[in-house]
Amino acid sequence: MTTTQAPAEHTRRLGRVGGYAGLLLVVLVVALPLYWILISSLKERPDIYTVPVGWFPDPLILDNYSAVGSGVAFTDYLRNSIIITSALTVIQVVLGVLSAFALAFLRFPGRSLVLLFVIGSLLVPNQITVISNYALVAQLGWRNTFTGIIVPLAGVAFGTFLMRNHFLSLPREIIEAAEMDAAGPLRMLWRVVLPMSWPTLIAFTLITIVNEWNQYLWPLLIADDASVAPLPVGLAQLQDTQGLTNWGPVLAGTVLTMLPILLIFLALQRHMIKGLTAGAVKG
Amino acid sequence: MTASGRRPLLRLTGAATIAALALTGCAGSGSADDSGESGGGPVESLTFWSNHPGESKAIETELLEAFEAESGIEVNLVTAGKNYEEVAQKFNAALSGGELPDVVVASDVTWFNFALTDAVTPMDELWSTVDVDSEGYVDSLREDYAFEDEHYAMPYARSTPLFYYNKAMWSAAGLPDRGPETWDEWAEWAPKLAAANSGIAPMVLPDGSNYLDWYFQGMVWTFGGSFSDDWDMTFTSDETIEAGKFLQDQYRQQHIAVSNDANNQFGAGQAAALMQSTGSLKGLTSAAQFDIGTAFLPGPPPGCPTGGAGLAIPERISDERKEAAMELIAFLTNTENTVKFSQATGYMPVQKDAVDHPDMKPFLDENPNFRTALEQLDVTSSQDYARVLLPGGGARIGAGLDRITIGGEDVETVFEQLDEESTTVYERDIEPKL
Amino acid sequence: MATDLAAGAPTGTAPAPSPRPPARPRERRGRGLLVAGAFLVPNLVLLGVFTYRPLIDNIRLSFTDWNISSPTATYIGFDNYVEWFTSSASHAVLWNTVVFTVAAVIGSMVLGLALALLLDRKLFGRDAVRSLVFAPFVVAGAAVGVAFQFVFDPTFGLVQDLLGRIGVESPAFYQDPDWALFMVTVTYIWKNLGYTFVIYLAALQGRRAELDEAAEIDAASTWTRFRKVTWPQLRPATFFLLITVLLNSFQVFDIIDTMTRGGPLGNGTTTMVYQVYQETFVNQRAGFGATVATIMFVILLVITLLQVRVMERGQQR
Repeated sequence: MTTTQAPAEHTRRLGRVGGYAGLLLVVLVVALPLYWILISSLKERPDIYTVPVGWFPDPLILDNYSAVGSGVAFTDYLRNSIIITSALTVIQVVLGVLSAFALAFLRFPGRSLVLLFVIGSLLVPNQITVISNYALVAQLGWRNTFTGIIVPLAGVAFGTFLMRNHFLSLPREIIEAAEMDAAGPLRMLWRVVLPMSWPTLIAFTLITIVNEWNQYLWPLLIADDASVAPLPVGLAQLQDTQGLTNWGPVLAGTVLTMLPILLIFLALQRHMIKGLTAGAVKG
Repeated sequence: MTASGRRPLLRLTGAATIAALALTGCAGSGSADDSGESGGGPVESLTFWSNHPGESKAIETELLEAFEAESGIEVNLVTAGKNYEEVAQKFNAALSGGELPDVVVASDVTWFNFALTDAVTPMDELWSTVDVDSEGYVDSLREDYAFEDEHYAMPYARSTPLFYYNKAMWSAAGLPDRGPETWDEWAEWAPKLAAANSGIAPMVLPDGSNYLDWYFQGMVWTFGGSFSDDWDMTFTSDETIEAGKFLQDQYRQQHIAVSNDANNQFGAGQAAALMQSTGSLKGLTSAAQFDIGTAFLPGPPPGCPTGGAGLAIPERISDERKEAAMELIAFLTNTENTVKFSQATGYMPVQKDAVDHPDMKPFLDENPNFRTALEQLDVTSSQDYARVLLPGGGARIGAGLDRITIGGEDVETVFEQLDEESTTVYERDIEPKL
Repeated sequence: MATDLAAGAPTGTAPAPSPRPPARPRERRGRGLLVAGAFLVPNLVLLGVFTYRPLIDNIRLSFTDWNISSPTATYIGFDNYVEWFTSSASHAVLWNTVVFTVAAVIGSMVLGLALALLLDRKLFGRDAVRSLVFAPFVVAGAAVGVAFQFVFDPTFGLVQDLLGRIGVESPAFYQDPDWALFMVTVTYIWKNLGYTFVIYLAALQGRRAELDEAAEIDAASTWTRFRKVTWPQLRPATFFLLITVLLNSFQVFDIIDTMTRGGPLGNGTTTMVYQVYQETFVNQRAGFGATVATIMFVILLVITLLQVRVMERGQQR
């Protein structure tokens, strides 16, 4: 007993040191490009491209940020982005969870086919769906509307697949007990299944938010003006085409677009708490 | 008896999936059947799809307001993309059955396909209906949109390549304060530039993914060659090959570097000279911390192609709208407004008499580099079909030029392939539709 | 036995207990179908209309010669397919796609797992670092392309700067096709790390703590504990990631478009999706573009079916 404890203690400490070293490395590799986006957005135009590389903005200016604010209807686009992303996230999370629940726990004929149908839609690149969908949306009279942007993006394959997989990994005995209770499906979902699924559900939500927040091609085709166009489309007009792009404002726009999502991540990731599952098992 | 699924998908086959797909039914089509708004009555509003070339949203808005004040027609300015390709993509989507704009920006390489497929309207008749003086436009710019006795767009945000040089490096090498007059002269100057400024490239050019084909086109012409003569490919003519070999030789001797980001390499003082669009003039001037000189592209003329974007009108809108759209285009490109637009963006004014406009003189005195660009217009020439009218022409030639420079491949072999490929594309995609 | 349990069930939203136990299995199946329908149909309709309808459209168009701007398409049978399969450019494109995908899948999954394991522990500054790892995933692809120019550019880049300090010359990232492919792959992995990381982290957080505790009492070595306890619980997440990362990386577009436009030398970094885009929207050959897309779909379908098969087998254990 005592002989095994000391090495275990030792490895644990080693692991901790290794952990911090790893952390530091990650910080460096992941952070550097982000750092470049940030400092370039704070540099004067001639300082962005220099040889040798300029590691600090000198002078540090905020002009690029005010250029974003004055050059485009930033608040309009931000509002549109929030509307589109919230609507899509709510719809996709609800549809995804319900679909996944049906695929994981309910018995019905053709279930495997339905699963394959869902996964199969992940194989279709949006380069081939946009034109066809555009024609349909235009016929429906949904051009330049939130409906036109949101509805075609609302089907959820990724989240269905993710949640279904997670549901299948839940402890069988609890699910069976719940079924024996003959609890209605919604009740079972709400009371039994979801409480054991928060981390995955949060991951699903986060990824959905990011994907919808960054939608570019589809809203570009459907939206015509600042009444419905989201941020990525709005910021596109900062990029010069044939001439020389002034990267300062573009990168400032990128930073501003990222920030809200990072805050959401920071808030949500705290809820990916370990132990809920264990509690459910014991309770 | 648990309902939780452990049923394998083992027996599923591709055929089963296809069956599942078929269940969804196959509606929809990729073809267009309806057009935008129709119906008579006076036109009250127009829609203009633009990517605001040259950060031009502010000036576009200003001009459109002036148009509304004059004509009473409101114009809805739509950001249709961040580059010409995206505008074309959105326009293609609209052609498949959406609401069409009334005026759309079309680049030197996108307009022709719209013309070929009758997606945009021929303009000559509209010119007389709306009373547009087409002769007032700079000839080479207007004729860029000519095809089979018709014109399919009007010049708008037009640019040409320009020769930029770093004055400090020039004087360090003891060179006169001007660009080389011929490519032979360049070949003599380059070693001096390299010797006087260690570690820098005498000239940097954008690579094949960044329109090297456009800059090289002028070089080919000075050798007496071309990419094509109308629809006959001429990549394998002695003159064209000689130009290719010249480029390759300059690259090998490190007189000319090829870069993914030529602009910034020059702007950061890593190259003594640069061939780049006049559209970059404003950007480069504000980004560079040294004196920039500009010059014509080396001759003998024509050694410089035109480029940039024009304005087109969709075919499938009503005649009233077409006429109103033509009025809008004529307004945006009239002498006074093309002067304003070019001063705000750095693009070329498209009217012959723009040079004499009272606002132009003081501007040119303040911006001598812009004067160079403007004067060079006289010696520019419309581009070869193989680059601008043939689908994917620019990218194809750019890739070939990458191969002879970066890739070091044999010029004759590469150009022969270009000739063959281009001919195939012509015979397959263009000839049957003419 | 069923009645006992039913009696003990909480009242309220649950439907009234069935009075006739023998009929239950069938009734339950019927109800299952109904509920499944209600849960699934909205989603399936959306996917059907906005994904599969265009896909079928696309398959039909792959047998035509269609100029994207033209209202009419001409039926030409298998000509497009013959052209794709016999063209040497296609082979290069297919090869690029395979190399890119394999590297992206392995790279982002291994690194994502390592980071998730690391940041699953209680370490100082963990929350901030988690956000940092996730941050690249939030950046739009086009901005990533710009940012990485500052990393890889042979004149201005960080790599060049760091290599220069140890006296090594920077590779020609934008000009040598192999280095260019390396560059876009690394960039993609960097961006996509946040995705694999979050999925793995969620799986780790959701795992059954009592198993870990048991292992801890056994004082098993870290490696044994990972292999015997943690890894089996991560298997569903791993299969999920294998499938989705593969599909995502097969379809990467933004990064290639902003960094290399498929070059150098024409198709140095052109992948199948980029070819679809090029042919459809740049060369205006939408029929041929549809053919490439269809071939890609079939390839992915075969791979995915194989993966699903393996996954289902794994879940049966």
